[in-house]
Amino acid sequence: MNIPGEKKTDDIGVESKNLAKPPQIIGLTVNGRQHIFKVGVDIQPNTTLRDLLKERLGLYSPKEMCQGDGSCGSCTVMLDGKPVLSCLTLAVDCDGKSVETVEGIAEAGHPLIDAFRNNYAYQCGYCTSGFIVAAKALLDRNPNPTDEEIVKALSGNICRCGAYAAIISAVREAAERLKGG
Amino acid sequence: MRTIRKFEFLNARTIDEAVNTLAAYKGKAWPFAGGTDILRMMRFQPLPENLYPEVLINLKTISPSLEYIKEEDGILSIGALTKLVDIANNALVGERYSALANAANKVASPQIRNMATISGNICQLTHCLYFSKPDNRFHCLRKGGSECPAQLGDNRYCSIFGDVNGCVAVNTSDIAPALIALNARIKTNKRMVNAGEFWDVRVPGSTILDEDEIVVEIQVPRPPPDAKSVFMKFSIRSSIDFPIVNGAALIGDGVARIALNAVAPKPYRATKAEEVLKGKTIDETAAEEAAIAAVSEASPLSFNKWKISVAKAIVKRMVLNTKSR
Repeated sequence: MNIPGEKKTDDIGVESKNLAKPPQIIGLTVNGRQHIFKVGVDIQPNTTLRDLLKERLGLYSPKEMCQGDGSCGSCTVMLDGKPVLSCLTLAVDCDGKSVETVEGIAEAGHPLIDAFRNNYAYQCGYCTSGFIVAAKALLDRNPNPTDEEIVKALSGNICRCGAYAAIISAVREAAERLKGG
Repeated sequence: MRTIRKFEFLNARTIDEAVNTLAAYKGKAWPFAGGTDILRMMRFQPLPENLYPEVLINLKTISPSLEYIKEEDGILSIGALTKLVDIANNALVGERYSALANAANKVASPQIRNMATISGNICQLTHCLYFSKPDNRFHCLRKGGSECPAQLGDNRYCSIFGDVNGCVAVNTSDIAPALIALNARIKTNKRMVNAGEFWDVRVPGSTILDEDEIVVEIQVPRPPPDAKSVFMKFSIRSSIDFPIVNGAALIGDGVARIALNAVAPKPYRATKAEEVLKGKTIDETAAEEAAIAAVSEASPLSFNKWKISVAKAIVKRMVLNTKSR
């Protein structure tokens, strides 16, 4: 197997035992299922988490509104329970981590999905998956958020249609339903 | 979407491994922490071919982890790889070092604060509209070119305190002014540097770090009990955006330290304003005088005189905010 980095290290002619080594196998959990990828075969060092989810696992929910600039939040996924930008996360950097996407949130029957529909919290829908992931992360750590806390938690996501007011209502409704309301 | 430029990815298990590998690749390897800045750069490729890293060395695999916040003997130590979200939410930092907690809380977006580290924030590349245009559209001084397109071009967001090595791009770190105001020290694997001397303007880097040097820890001395620290940021949107001007101040108990950022190629310490405040009680007049002194040495470019008013307003408000306790 051609391991990236190995050839170069020999070329330099330094003792390799005190140098950094390339990762060879990446194991990660996506929506509760285990996956293993070989670096250099299944994924390359420059494969982003978003590319991996889309191309290897067929999960199309992380979008790319800002073309990978990290400024729109539409590719947001949960990494070990925290919302991150999957377009600026390297797949090789996710070894041993657990990823949750909107597909997983919907599969688990989370009330956010219905709440977004009930409140018409989208127009074109392109930003929706990013918003739902960010909102889920908020409700996980704070089941009873104020409007201000909702706005802050969603401040990394952009909706060009301007559905913000409806999105806040949707998150509020989901929080109510989680409490059994 | 553009794919990220090809590179090799290596996991370092110790600081020694990381540093040895950086040395072995002679500038062709860059350290990798949160990755939000470096991967954007590797995707949009603003630099010329010869300046890109061929190897990224992952520091997050270093053991023992460089992700910690602790306070011992009146010194707050923050590991280089501590995420900004953890600094923003830390009760101890929020209570005694509020400028730093507020600065961390104002960086970019919640998602980026979950990924980005404190050392990455202070080592981010300074940039202007021309420097960051994709595909090396403008081969400027910071890329080894021979002229600065911003001097005669669109310099609305550039330096109001002159150039450094010809470059008028500004340092946009939110953490930097907080560290300078709080008189922090930055510990690398080679030396200990005062925050005020950490930044520089190089091709293309923005710090004094050697090619085989990494930040290991940030140390902040506990401010005097009656001093208050504040942070303030002006940007177009309150989230996601880089600052247009930001600043931090530590005032009270005989101390007055004021730092501004995004106004010069390096974080700017407003020493003139500090002198004005020495021995004065803080009131509206003193704050106004400090604000005028802070920008007394400004020399704006053709399109950015307006930033002087912004900087003045920020200094004045920061000084007044340190009054109420």
